Amino acid sequence: MNPTPDAIASGNEGTMSPQQAAALLDQATHEARRKIEPSPAWLLTTRAVAVLAALGAIWLSVRGQHPYQGPTAADIPVLIAFIVVNFAATVAVRMRATAGIRGRTQLHPADIVVLVLSWVAVVVIVAALAAAHTNLAFYPTSVLIVPGLAWAAIGAGRKVWRRFGVGLAVAVVGVAGLFAGPAGSWAVGGVGLCAVLLGAAAAVAWSHRS
Amino acid sequence: MNDDTLDPLIHVPTRLKIVATLAALPEGDTLSFTRLQDMIGLTPGNLIIHLRKLEDADYINSEKTRNGTVSITTVALTSQGRAALGAYTRALRDLLGGDLLGAL
Repeated sequence: MNPTPDAIASGNEGTMSPQQAAALLDQATHEARRKIEPSPAWLLTTRAVAVLAALGAIWLSVRGQHPYQGPTAADIPVLIAFIVVNFAATVAVRMRATAGIRGRTQLHPADIVVLVLSWVAVVVIVAALAAAHTNLAFYPTSVLIVPGLAWAAIGAGRKVWRRFGVGLAVAVVGVAGLFAGPAGSWAVGGVGLCAVLLGAAAAVAWSHRS
Repeated sequence: MNDDTLDPLIHVPTRLKIVATLAALPEGDTLSFTRLQDMIGLTPGNLIIHLRKLEDADYINSEKTRNGTVSITTVALTSQGRAALGAYTRALRDLLGGDLLGAL
């Protein structure tokens, strides 16, 4: 039934059958969830594939190095391109999805400060480890630990448990990489982050179905 | 059981869409009037009429904030509104039995 403009304007559009109401409720709920999701499953899955490809490519180029010398000059642009595209896509999708929303869904300025500080801490810690001639400075996953814990803390603070879980899982990948050697750490990082992102994508898809 | 068990305030297509959209937000989050309008696809006048009816029943609350010269109206589902949608969903489920769609 198509209500007349007058009926809509008066707020009395007529009634629906229970079947029509159920279909409309289902459609409206799914559409709203899809539009406001800051980390849609498709984006998380794409990032999972991209991180596996980027870090996997670097692992393939460093795994034969004895002694370990780190990524080659050809690997660096791949890594930088991955980081830039990943960051830009994530921010663009998040900003579009959370436009007009205030509350737990949005990152607050304090959250962004915590994240920036966590990366500053990474630079300081890695520089200190390098100055102390500690091998851990050259493990790529070591840079994941502090930002992962910061993301988990932000999630816990806002009671956004999916954010907490992802942050904690990223930190765990960071620690796991420390046991794989500097070259193997790239593989652990690639596989681990891919698994974390696929898990998050599955959680998002599941929450939209329930 | 018949259709009378369905909350008449929610059992109107546009208001059902409004309530379902606001319920998709995490509890405590608010949505700007313009974003809601964009998501529902209504004119401002029509949306205001429906929001007023929901607000009169304490199903939603709206808040107007001023940021310099710009005034922003935000809307959120109240706990009463969330409970009403829950009751409405349960009533639909009872009416339709197993013949239900995913979101319910």
